Amino acid sequence: MDTTQLLKGVLDLAVRDGYGYDVVRRLRAAGLEEVGDASVYGTLRRLYSGGHLTSYVVPSEEGPHRKYYAVNDAGRALLAASTGTWRSFTDAMDKLLGAREEEAA
Amino acid sequence: MNDTIQGEVARYAAAVRAACADLPGPDRELLLEDLEDHLQEVAAEAGGPLAERLGRPEAYAAELRASAGLPAPGRGPAGGRRPRRRLRESRVARRLAGAGGAVLAHPAARAVVRFLPELRPAWWVLRGYLAVQAVAVALTPLFAGGGFSFPVPRLLGSSLLGLLAVAAAAAGSVAIGRRGAGSRRARALLAAGNVALAVVALLLVGELADSEAYDDYRPEFATTFAGPVSGLRSDGREISNIFPFDAQGRPLKDVYLIDQDGQPVVASHYGNEYLEPRIPLDRDGVEVANRYPQTQHQLDPATGQRYPGPTPEFRPPPGPLRPG
Repeated sequence: MDTTQLLKGVLDLAVRDGYGYDVVRRLRAAGLEEVGDASVYGTLRRLYSGGHLTSYVVPSEEGPHRKYYAVNDAGRALLAASTGTWRSFTDAMDKLLGAREEEAA
Repeated sequence: MNDTIQGEVARYAAAVRAACADLPGPDRELLLEDLEDHLQEVAAEAGGPLAERLGRPEAYAAELRASAGLPAPGRGPAGGRRPRRRLRESRVARRLAGAGGAVLAHPAARAVVRFLPELRPAWWVLRGYLAVQAVAVALTPLFAGGGFSFPVPRLLGSSLLGLLAVAAAAAGSVAIGRRGAGSRRARALLAAGNVALAVVALLLVGELADSEAYDDYRPEFATTFAGPVSGLRSDGREISNIFPFDAQGRPLKDVYLIDQDGQPVVASHYGNEYLEPRIPLDRDGVEVANRYPQTQHQLDPATGQRYPGPTPEFRPPPGPLRPG
């Protein structure tokens, strides 16, 4: 799993509002094939219940009415904290893996 | 085509909802809010059946709950009854903990509460027995020889019939207890029946206490409850006359005896109905009951003749007495 693609998918959600299946599609397009639909929907509910997302319903003429999610300030703070944690983790991993590659080279 | 998609979506959604049925209402509504919308989106894309692309509905529900931070469904055999009972018991336990937390915090109380479910089968058997007792008593006015009887109820005047009925009722009651009542209505009826039989149990205990009280009223116990023993006694033996002697062993006459309180010491005459005292009277005609020895006559019941009462002999101790 490419870390840059995971970050891109999460940041995409932060940049642009989306409804449930829209988020699933964007994550898939970003390369996260393994993420289950139910996990995405469940995570959206958890973030919403925790006050990190706001939601609004957009009526649709052909399909079902869609519930869109938008990141609020609390969500952006959580995202920044999570991003920081993730970066420090990947940096540490990169150094470990890079050091081994240099040894092998 | 559209109909089959709708049907598949509805079936899958129903299965997911069933797997989330144990969640509290608000949590469940929020979690399943756009379940159908999601399934529609997936179904609208080309590809196989929903279960193939999303996994089994139960797995979908479990993933949804886990990622939403909600507890996993209670483990145990499939079917709605068991989780519901668990939920209800935990609710009762929570309410009890709120009301009598201090009492329940005691280890002994906790042990009793833990032990209660073990008593359930015993109640099932007792319930059957009580039902037969209730029927037996209810039929009493209709059949001679009926009425309350313990321990075996008499059914239609027959103890054997009562015994057989108890066996059958206990077996039936246990079967109901193990299976549990199905519908809400059946459960309500069962609860009402349990209360009624508990009342029968109370009446039965009351009846038993009454009959045992009668058993206790036996003559040999009656004297136990008599008041202080009357009459003059020495070491439990009744004293019906007193014969004073002086230090030389000579009998004294007309000796007045009084006790430590200055009260006259009056011999009792209850012990021997054939010993008739002749109590002297003073000038005012009042009995002088503490002048000894009293003149007594012994009555021969066979002949009706009277003889002078017995006169005991007295042997004084040899030599002078030492002052006490």
